[in-house]
Order: sequence, then C-alpha cells, then structure tokens
Amino acid sequence: MAFELYKRKIKYFFVSLFTLLILAIIVIVISLSVGPAMLNPKDVFKAIFLKSFYSDVDPTIYSISMLRLSRTMASFFCGAALSLAGLLMQTITRNPLADPYIFGLSSTALTSIAIAVIVSPSFAVYRYNLVLVAFIGALTGYVITVSLAKLAGGDSLALVLAGVAVASLFSGVSHILLYVVQNIIRTPYVYFLMGSTSTVLLKDLNFLFYPTLLLLLIAIVFFKPLNAYLYGDDYAKQLGFNPKRIIFIAATIASILTAITVAFIGIVGFIGLAAPHIARFFVGSDHRFSIPITTLVGGIITTIADIVVRLISMFARGIGELPLGVITSVIGAPFLAYLIIRRSRA
Amino acid sequence: MKIVISGVEVWYNSVKALDEVSAEIESGEMVFVIGPNGAGKTTLLKTIASIVKPSKGVIYIDGKTLSEIPQREIGKIIAFVDPHISRSIPSTVFEFLLTARYPHQNTFSISQSPQDVEIIDSIAKQFNITHLLNRRLDQLSSGELQRVLIARAMVQQPKILLLDEPSAFLDLRHRLETLRYVKNVVKTNDITCLVAIHDIYLASLYADKVVIMSRGSIIAFGTPDEVLKKEILEKVYNVRIAYVDVNGRKVIIPIEPI
Repeated sequence: MAFELYKRKIKYFFVSLFTLLILAIIVIVISLSVGPAMLNPKDVFKAIFLKSFYSDVDPTIYSISMLRLSRTMASFFCGAALSLAGLLMQTITRNPLADPYIFGLSSTALTSIAIAVIVSPSFAVYRYNLVLVAFIGALTGYVITVSLAKLAGGDSLALVLAGVAVASLFSGVSHILLYVVQNIIRTPYVYFLMGSTSTVLLKDLNFLFYPTLLLLLIAIVFFKPLNAYLYGDDYAKQLGFNPKRIIFIAATIASILTAITVAFIGIVGFIGLAAPHIARFFVGSDHRFSIPITTLVGGIITTIADIVVRLISMFARGIGELPLGVITSVIGAPFLAYLIIRRSRA
Repeated sequence: MKIVISGVEVWYNSVKALDEVSAEIESGEMVFVIGPNGAGKTTLLKTIASIVKPSKGVIYIDGKTLSEIPQREIGKIIAFVDPHISRSIPSTVFEFLLTARYPHQNTFSISQSPQDVEIIDSIAKQFNITHLLNRRLDQLSSGELQRVLIARAMVQQPKILLLDEPSAFLDLRHRLETLRYVKNVVKTNDITCLVAIHDIYLASLYADKVVIMSRGSIIAFGTPDEVLKKEILEKVYNVRIAYVDVNGRKVIIPIEPI
C-alpha cells in the first residue's frame, strides 16, 4: 500500500509538472500574441521557439512579440514569486488563509514610495528608483515585523500578530500619504494598490528572474524542515530541526519574493492565497512537490489574468488598463471554490 | 539507552513545572509516569526529548549530557509522541509518516530510499492503519489519529520512546493492543520507553517500573507492586481507593474524592 501510494504521488507530480509546463508555454505564446496588433499564436511560436528551423519567419512578428515579452515575463514570474511566497507564508503561519502580504510588506512598500515622491517629486520619473524604493520599503516592513515578533516570543502566532499590527499601521499611513501624493503626480493612486504589468521594462527583468529562480531552488532544498514544521514547533524540534530557524529562513525567502513583486507590479491579491491550494490539490502538501507546482500554477494564472486585462482594455476602451489584481481574483476564485467543494466530497 | 535525570528544574515563565527531579532509567525499561493533572508528566517527557530546556540540572543519555548531543542526532535517538500536532494545513497520513524518516536522512537530499517506504509499509500493517495512509490527518477520528501518532514514532525507529497519553481516545481493545505492541517492540529492540498515562490499570499491566509525580516532584519510583499502594495513591490524587481482585491481580478502583 505504501509503495503504491508513493509511486502514485511521484506519478501525479510528474504528470502535473509536464502538463503545467506545456500549459505555461501555450499561455506565454498567447500572451505574446495578444495586443492592439493581434498575431497568430502559431506564427509567434514558430518565430520564437523554432526560429532556427524556419528561415522564412516574418521579422515583424518577432519584433512585435518581443515588445510584449517584458510584460509577459513580468506577469509570469511575479505570479510565480507571489505564489511561492504565499505557500511559504501559509506554511510558516500554518494558516491556509495566509497570503504574501500578511507581514504588511505591501503597505510599507507603498509608504516608502509615497514618502519618496513627497520628498522629491522628480524622483518618481525614473521607474528604476521607484522599484528600488519599494523593495527597500518592503524589506523594512519585514525587519519591523520580525523584530516585533521576536520581542513577542518568535513563534508563528507572534509573527502573524506582528504582521497584522504592521500591516494595519502602514496601510493607514500609506493611504494618507498617497492621498497627498495624488495631488503631486496627478494620477489616481489605485494603480499602486492593485498592480499592473504594463510599465515593466525588459532590462529590469533580470532583477525579477534570477532572484525568483534562486529563491525557488533554496526553498525546494529546505523541503524537509518545511514539511516537519507543518505539524508543529515541538514536532519539528524533536525531529532535530530548529523551528525558529525554519521560520526565519522561510520568512526571509517569502519576504524578498514579495518585495520584488511589489516593486515591479504593485500589489496583486489572491494569487498568493489560491495557487498553493490549487497545487496542494494536485500533489499534496509535501513541499518537494508543492513548491514547483505552486510556482507554475501562479505563473500561469497571472499570465492569463494579464492577457484578460489587455483584452478588456482593448474592447472596453476605458481609460488606462484594469488593475491585474482584479482579474486574478475573478479567475482564481471560482477555480478555488470548485476545488474546495471537490476536496470535501473526495 | 540509559537515561539519568539529575536535579532537573523547569520553569514556564514564573511557574515551576519540575522541581529537582532525579531518576535513573535503565536501558530497555518500560517506565510509566502517573500523577494528577499538572504534576509535570508531560514536562518531564519534553525535557528528556530536549524540547524544553531545564533551567537547572542535567539529563544524561548513556553518559552524555543532552546539550552535548547535536540536535540532529537527538532526532535519531529520541521520539516523542505529542498528542497535539498541528493539522491546519491539510496533509495525508502517508506524508506525515514520511517526515518521521527525516532524522535518518541527509536533510538536503530530494530522493527517498525504498527502505524508508518499506518501514512505513510494515509499521502501518502492524498498527492496522494501512487503510488510513491516503486519508487526511484532519479527517481521522481521535482514535485513528492516536494510532497514527504512535506509528509515526515507530517509523522514526528511536532508541528512546516517549509517549504522552497514548491511551487517550483509544477504545478498550486498541488500548490493550497498542500498549502490548509497544511493549513488544520496546523489548525486542531494547528501546528505553517512558509513558505518561492516567490509566493506572494499564500502568500496572505493562510497566517495568512506575514513577508517581505530584506538583513537579517525583513522589515514588519503583516496580508497580512497590509503588501502586493505597496510601501513596490516596495522598497524591486525593481520592479514596479500593482494590479488587481480578484473576489474582490487584486492580485499583477510585471510589470518591477525599
């Protein structure tokens, strides 16, 4: 029995992995094709992946799809990073409702952006500056939360409560400051709050791509401590793992990932909450399997959401684009609801 | 392995949980720890498992102090069965049992050796939980969970086994079966075993030695016949006690609070 179960777990993992990888490629190609100049996804696929086999590839297709590469990659990797951060936060807090923003990182990032704009309005002209400030702000939030939690004992409950305190304080502060900022830069501050990939530049992607990949690998390597930690502090301790160290490592990984995504595309809700649940439904809670699947699921859903954002803005002709977070909720929630129902019937 | 507890004192903030506790437990002995609620039974087990650090005193395992043994090594030697595990993130019994092999593996290796799965397979059969392996921990009945928890400790293959309330939630048959099985494993593998328990009858059935604790101190320590005496139990529990003879065995019956 145990052998069959083990084989089945591994089989499920590889089936999910390959299905999701293929799905990811399809979604990315579609994302490269969708925009004001619609391309045929088949041609885009040829132009990008089979360029060396076909000499007759239309160069305009290649260059148009390359223009969309930055936002496609940004949505895929931010989705992946947020989902991994969400999974780690859920593990750390042992709370299936935890999400990447539970430590208040998003609010401190926003606060720091608002302060930067108020101090020096010309500062916001360079996107790179904003990214850096948001990143520093998010990490500052993490340091505040962790220090507060340490004063309160350092266990997972202390961490959650400290996060709630930091989140509510800075969400209030950031809204006050952003209200002021609105007058300075004359754009509605909703865009900072709900996330958008339209402003990401290709040359910035290195700061998203490499850290996400590196932290993903580190997280997978720590799968045993994370698995042991799921069943309680004392349980991890008596297997020879130090629960406080596990919390620290996982929280740091999750916070850096969240900080990066907040800096790049703002706050995208729901994906960090839903993707881990979807992954667990396929491959169970063993982090060895759930970490890679969660990142793929998150990347795919966020990329689909970004495609939908573009389609809606093309057909509805509203002002600007819809925030990404709106669409991730609309796509992710029904799917999550379906999984919750199926799981309880299984 | 031989456990020597020497002058151990444990504080939870300003509450003293263990007060100058000293005892020697021989290798391969099955020792039952009894006593009223809050006597320090669980704390004693947790201190030996190195989950709780004593503020005074030392615990020696085969002559080495606990703090000398690396944390990773303790996972190989000692298994503590905690009835309170977290089940808020859904996971299956099989996933839970796999974690018990971690102390014997390299922390960072991804692959699982077939032997590990084999051990889980055979222990699941012995505990009659094979049909539960693919069930979620949070959907088990308390009795099923209790068996899974004890099976987990067996999967860990420890040299020292610490059981906290193993008979709680089990029905009559499973109580006897589980403890008899534990006793068998303990004797054949020369495991030192401490059991914190409320059921004095089970203690008298399976214990080599019995420890009676009250208010953080050891009141009596010896064979069941030496220790499970009317005057000691009445004093410790504040309950009037009577003996009943069943098949030549003296069974202790609580009558009324004093």
